[in-house]
Amino acid sequence: MVAVLMDITKCTGCEKCVLACIEKNNLNLEKSYFDRITARDGLSSDRFLSINKIDKDRFARLSCMHCLDPACISACLVGGITKSPKGAVIYDPDKCIGCRYCMLACPFHIPRYEWNVTKPFMKKCNLCYDRIKDDELPACVEACPNKAIVFGDRNKLLKQAHRTINSKPEKYLQHVWGEKEYGGTSILCISDIDLAKTGWSDKPVTPIPHLTEPLIEKTPVIGLTVGGFLVGLNWIIRRRMEFSGQNGETKNQTKKEDGQGDA
Amino acid sequence: MLNKARTLKDILWFFVFFGLVAGIFRLWFGLGATTNLTDSVPWGLWKVLNMIAGVALSTCGFTIGFLVYVLRVEKFKPLIKPAIFVAFLGYGSSCFALLFDIGLPYRFWHPLFMWNEHSFLFEVFWCVMLYFSVTFIELMPNILEKYKLKKTVGFLHKITIGVVIIGISLSTLHHSSLGSLFLITPYRLFPLWYSSLLPVYFFTSAAGCGIMFLIFVKILYSKLYNPVSVFGEQTNGKVPVVCSLNRNDGNTATKEYGKDMPMLSSLSIVGASLLAIYLILKIYDLFRLNLFNTLLIGTWESWIYILELLLTAVLPLVLVIIKKSRRSPYGLGTATFSASLGLALNRLDVGIIGYFRDAGSAYFPSLTEWALGIGVIAAAALVFLFVAENFSIFDEQWKVYKINKGIFKASFDTINRVWQAALHSGLQRTTIIGVFVLPIAFVLMYPQYKSDKGIYVVPASGLNTIRSILIINANTPGMSTEFPHLKHQETLGKEQSCIECHHISLPDDKSTPCSRCHRKMFEKTLIFNHEMHKGWVAADRQIPGLQPENKTCAICHLPGLPKDINSAVGCMECHKEDIHVANTLNLPKQFLYADSYFYVMHKRCIGCHQERKQGVNKPNLDQCSNCHQSYYTQYETKKELYGSLASD
Repeated sequence: MVAVLMDITKCTGCEKCVLACIEKNNLNLEKSYFDRITARDGLSSDRFLSINKIDKDRFARLSCMHCLDPACISACLVGGITKSPKGAVIYDPDKCIGCRYCMLACPFHIPRYEWNVTKPFMKKCNLCYDRIKDDELPACVEACPNKAIVFGDRNKLLKQAHRTINSKPEKYLQHVWGEKEYGGTSILCISDIDLAKTGWSDKPVTPIPHLTEPLIEKTPVIGLTVGGFLVGLNWIIRRRMEFSGQNGETKNQTKKEDGQGDA
Repeated sequence: MLNKARTLKDILWFFVFFGLVAGIFRLWFGLGATTNLTDSVPWGLWKVLNMIAGVALSTCGFTIGFLVYVLRVEKFKPLIKPAIFVAFLGYGSSCFALLFDIGLPYRFWHPLFMWNEHSFLFEVFWCVMLYFSVTFIELMPNILEKYKLKKTVGFLHKITIGVVIIGISLSTLHHSSLGSLFLITPYRLFPLWYSSLLPVYFFTSAAGCGIMFLIFVKILYSKLYNPVSVFGEQTNGKVPVVCSLNRNDGNTATKEYGKDMPMLSSLSIVGASLLAIYLILKIYDLFRLNLFNTLLIGTWESWIYILELLLTAVLPLVLVIIKKSRRSPYGLGTATFSASLGLALNRLDVGIIGYFRDAGSAYFPSLTEWALGIGVIAAAALVFLFVAENFSIFDEQWKVYKINKGIFKASFDTINRVWQAALHSGLQRTTIIGVFVLPIAFVLMYPQYKSDKGIYVVPASGLNTIRSILIINANTPGMSTEFPHLKHQETLGKEQSCIECHHISLPDDKSTPCSRCHRKMFEKTLIFNHEMHKGWVAADRQIPGLQPENKTCAICHLPGLPKDINSAVGCMECHKEDIHVANTLNLPKQFLYADSYFYVMHKRCIGCHQERKQGVNKPNLDQCSNCHQSYYTQYETKKELYGSLASD
């Protein structure tokens, strides 16, 4: 499992990571400039990564969080979103049918859709999975001049993050964002201001799929129970009707019972 | 009767043609150009109204099947055919509308082969697809028996009960799963609607309202084709005969309605009891989740919630409980219509409206969305009318009506004649409707040009050659006013003043509305230059003396009061003539156009910078920070100065 650790205090908001991301993913640069202004959080189908000003001289990075137990993977009905062996959440455009359920499911509001084209796909950060596969750094991490974002193994980064916030308790808030949120994410943040504005929330700790997956496992059971119950009910009622039919009611009923022998 | 059906059909054709154009536009131009969907509100009208609500209203297929085939309630036997048919149409039209909603319609078959069994949407897809096939199998005998395929019909009749039971299981699963779809959004859906009981709500409300919808369809059908069966014998056109045949109590005379009314009213009791369960569960959930604060706080969500519950459950329950209204087709019609409407509203709430607060933006479907959504429903209604006229769906004695009433011209022995009978009389009218509607729909719904750069601002036009005065429309099409641009520039700080109005990140590079600064025109704001005004007033009134501006206080401020904003006169007292609204259309066309600021800066500066970047070996020349380095600090100081003014 890999992760990206961001130190909010080090980011100067130069947006070089965004440019690197745009260059790496061959995105439309002009549209990306425009989307920075129009999109609420700076993300669009041509901007997978955005730097948002959250306070005076404080900038937060926003991109796909690459959750450990992502809601989008559980939501996608064709299994078009998967987790790579290294932990990146990857989208497969060849499977997508465009239902946009992932956009509804994501608790961070990350997936974007190419609304302007006739053959649209979902767009989001894929943690440069083709680069990290070969032990290269993701484009954004490589571009950062201040080393505000660091890439590495998730457990090691978590230890590093805790070491940093413990060594300077007067500077940092004692919380590593991304450690437990929604079951843990691969984007970790340490900060000296509260990050609730940026989409993080410290309340939920259960992964979103835990809300639905126990229920969906019961589906076949429910279906079979209902079916069996109905067969039983039908049998009882048919028997009762047969008895009453012996008293000589209508031909219609006996005729129908013949038809239901196969059930 | 005949005319009513014709008028209804014409109206339906109107919507169908409109929807046809909408569908073509959707496929041709894509989702973004034709719908109002955004990244914040990804699910819109087609998915929620057509698919989720449409499927929910078509539950009658399995509920009536349960009553008739499993519980053997012979009373409802005449309704089984229409119920299955309504279900078939409902599911068919829903799936058809869904094809337009998904981004890549030609991949609709993907879930057949690509599985993700953790997804509720996957379960919904399979169950809906299987159930659609089940309704088709259930429907086959009715269509086949016309063509005398007795063997097949006999076989299909044999497997009916098995098919029905499979259908009921599938329906139970997918109707609850449609609710479970939204279980995945616990922090996005508004708390009034989010509940772990969502699947139960969806199932009970769909089952109850499905029955109600069937009753509504039956009443509507009877109104059009066979009023006697529901509305009773008619004299003077519409008024049912009043008979005093009430045997139970001789006190009141009751109206005697048609022979189907007792069946419908007892069916409505079944539907209403399901709705009662739904209502009780909803109220229980309010206690369980302690949502009374949210409900009574008076947000518009809470009002919609209350309205929805009233429509779905309370009003139908009351109308069904009252004996008189239950037994009258009008009372029952109101109850069932309200239930159907409430159900649709509920699905819209859970699927769209409940997300507005989280998304931070509201969504209203575009004309194209409405057109296609309603068009598909209208097409389904047309198919329903066609089948109701030509096949024995609602009445066993449909041939009798044919002969007696003379609605149908041809006999229906061969499919060719059925085809002819359906098309022949209506074809001309339909063509005329089409000829009128298609161009209108084309013009109305043709997507506005949206370039990739996203610049579609109405440019300001200059009144004089140096453009010191501009004609601006302030985002109000058709209306415009003269805007002294140069004066504003000078007052606000010469060259550095551009940023005050222009580059403030309004969506779509809209021009800054005047109200951004001038909304506090009547108050003491930064926009009001008190020093200058003293001089102007003095000059205007020609007050003599060495320092005439010191004698002007009483002109604006009321005497005897502290000289503050409260005692000052309004700006409009003097500036009434300065602000006048002109109509752009009357202006001569030779006015020079001024580009929007964003466009100017980004075209001129960035273009050059990008060119130079390649020539001078300076790779960073086109980065934003070259221009925007000081932007944030400037903005911050302004923000502190202006306070709330600049913050929004």
